[in-house]
Amino acid sequence: MDFSDILASSIHDIKNSLGLILGNLDELIDNPDNKIADLRQASLLKHEAQRANSNLIQLLTLYKLGNQQLVVRVTENNLDDFLEEIVANNSAVCEALDVQLSYTCDHDLGGYFDADLVRSVLDSTIGNAHRYAKTQIQVNAVQEDGYLVIRVEDDGGGFPASLCGLLETMAERPQNAQSAGRTQLGLFFASSIAELHQNAGKKGRIRLSNGHNLSGGCFELWLP
Amino acid sequence: MANDFSDKSFLIIDDFADMRSAIRNLLRSLGVVKLEQARDGQDAMTQLAHKSFDVVLCDYNLGPGKDGQQVLEEARYRQLLGVDSLFIMITAENTREMVMSAIEYSPDSYLAKPFTKELLKTRLTKLFALKANLSQVNKALLTKSYGAALKALDGLIEAKPKNLSELIRTKTEILLTAKRYDEAKALFEEVLNARELPWARLGLGKVLFWQKKYAQAQEVFEHLLTLDTNMVAAYDWLAKTQTALQHFAEAEEILKNAARLSPRGLSRQQLLGTLALSNGNSEEAEHAFGRAVALAKHSALNHPSLFAGLAKAKSANGKHVEALKVIGEMVKTFAAEQEAKLYAATATAFVKKGLGDMEGATEALRAAEESMRQMAGTGRPTSLMLEMAKTYAQLGEQDKATALIHEAIANNHDEDELLMEVVQVCREAELDYDAETAIREIQKAVVKTNNDGVRLIRQGQFDDAIQLLSGAADEMPANKTINLNAAKAIIMKMEKLGATREDISAVRYLVERVRGLDPNDWRLGDVIARLRHLAATAS
Repeated sequence: MDFSDILASSIHDIKNSLGLILGNLDELIDNPDNKIADLRQASLLKHEAQRANSNLIQLLTLYKLGNQQLVVRVTENNLDDFLEEIVANNSAVCEALDVQLSYTCDHDLGGYFDADLVRSVLDSTIGNAHRYAKTQIQVNAVQEDGYLVIRVEDDGGGFPASLCGLLETMAERPQNAQSAGRTQLGLFFASSIAELHQNAGKKGRIRLSNGHNLSGGCFELWLP
Repeated sequence: MANDFSDKSFLIIDDFADMRSAIRNLLRSLGVVKLEQARDGQDAMTQLAHKSFDVVLCDYNLGPGKDGQQVLEEARYRQLLGVDSLFIMITAENTREMVMSAIEYSPDSYLAKPFTKELLKTRLTKLFALKANLSQVNKALLTKSYGAALKALDGLIEAKPKNLSELIRTKTEILLTAKRYDEAKALFEEVLNARELPWARLGLGKVLFWQKKYAQAQEVFEHLLTLDTNMVAAYDWLAKTQTALQHFAEAEEILKNAARLSPRGLSRQQLLGTLALSNGNSEEAEHAFGRAVALAKHSALNHPSLFAGLAKAKSANGKHVEALKVIGEMVKTFAAEQEAKLYAATATAFVKKGLGDMEGATEALRAAEESMRQMAGTGRPTSLMLEMAKTYAQLGEQDKATALIHEAIANNHDEDELLMEVVQVCREAELDYDAETAIREIQKAVVKTNNDGVRLIRQGQFDDAIQLLSGAADEMPANKTINLNAAKAIIMKMEKLGATREDISAVRYLVERVRGLDPNDWRLGDVIARLRHLAATAS
């Protein structure tokens, strides 16, 4: 066992603790008799715990990817069902933060991807987006140029210009993403997961842009 | 929140009290009132046996004892889960790979920890709707009425619902189980034409395997492994294919890879042990059987043959005392079972022979014979006959060995996998018996009888056909196909000329014979359904 294995198993442990913290927070928030004066505070705690949790999941996944242990299981998924679950999973925190979270896509739009992996990309992207969103976050999915494109958009200030050009090569050279600051892990993770998806010579990728449907930042996941 | 789930009963299985209460509270907030908890696999089995649940939420990791997968296996094996109940496996990051590589029994859904109540609510609502939608299909599958299941499924597919791809995948699985290979192949190809998907490619490989196009099957599985070196199922099927091609050393090597990736698969370890032992790699065999015995300890699939394998491997490595200890454990574990007595005796014979104690070995062999005699009435599984044949051969009783092998072939002339095992046993035991020629001859004779029977039926000479096929069935009472063919001939006569009590009871007798040999035979559903229909109209 080397240090990275110990790191991985500690991360796992921390993650379990966070799981319990999250569960207890849920109860606290739902319990009408609780003594917390400010529910919003509890929700913020929950939000941070969820963010920490999704970071840990990303670290663990990248660790497995580095050790060739990550199994990618691509299945066909209905996007309406899939996004409904994503939105459901993140709705409580968004409500507490007064951000409206919604999704749109064609009822019968299908896509081929590993649902667990893409779910963690989207969960953490939404987690990021509510730091910047003013009033709403929108998730949508469409078929474009032979790719399935899933977008997470907000109505905040948008991504800084320095971020938008960097992304195409990031998975190969993560050090280039230094300027991405604290979102470095998230973007590196997202582009690694995107690239694991391949079909007919095409590779998945991510893109950042501003002002797509909503005025703020727009994270795009392109899956072949 | 709506009280959607108040009439559903839930079972939470988790070894961690805090986690159980977290999930319990979460469920209560969704309106669940009927709710039980289990703290480990044993506790879970007791509760599952005691009452039926609509939803089982089970953590994969349950501490010492059974894990979540073993709970699921045993629950399905003992039929403790109704067709409409849901089994949801709760996974953590570090169990994802383990859970995904389990192929024999899969849960209705996975849930990664931690999850919010909103997610659980959405998921449960979807799953209930899905189960209700598939209810007719699942009910048909329960009675092995594959035709009815496919018809119901086609009705659903027609409407092109959101879960169309899942339905199509289910359809391919049913087609494979019902051995309708041409249709399965066409469907896999249709899916693959739209997009390269590993499960469909794997399915196509399986079809090729079952159609005995081994070289093509090999190509498919090898190709899949170049795309994904972690695809455990492709290793398993490649090993099967290599075995069919009699490339035993390659098969062992491939299974070793699969076992390294996914060490918790019981049947894989057993297969690896068996192959290694017959290839003469007794160290590898000891390792694999050791793992198998450990894995099976808490499993519903525990079996004396695992202990016998371990004992033989240890003995082959010169560890005779340990080997005898393993046999002792086997006897303790399966105290009352005749089958265990037989395996204990054959393993003892092997060890004693290794110790140079020929007298002890012969004595053990006679004990094995006695167990075999005791089991004569209950229909002896072919695996037992082969185990016995191996032991005869090891102790120099060639004639008895070949007689058993011959009988095994006659009982299973069209069961390719068993026939492969027969060939392997002959090779391992260095028997002076040409199994492959024997197989060809028996197959030829059976096919001829069958063709004659079919010709007579076509000419309307039902009684001659029935006489011919029933006679063959009486000659080979342990051959499922021949018994079923005789049954079908009588059914066809009744379908044409009307049912009589006498004919119905003749069919029942044959059906019971087959059921005694293998209650899960894939052809029984159809025959029983036709019989039931006739019985309703009988005068």
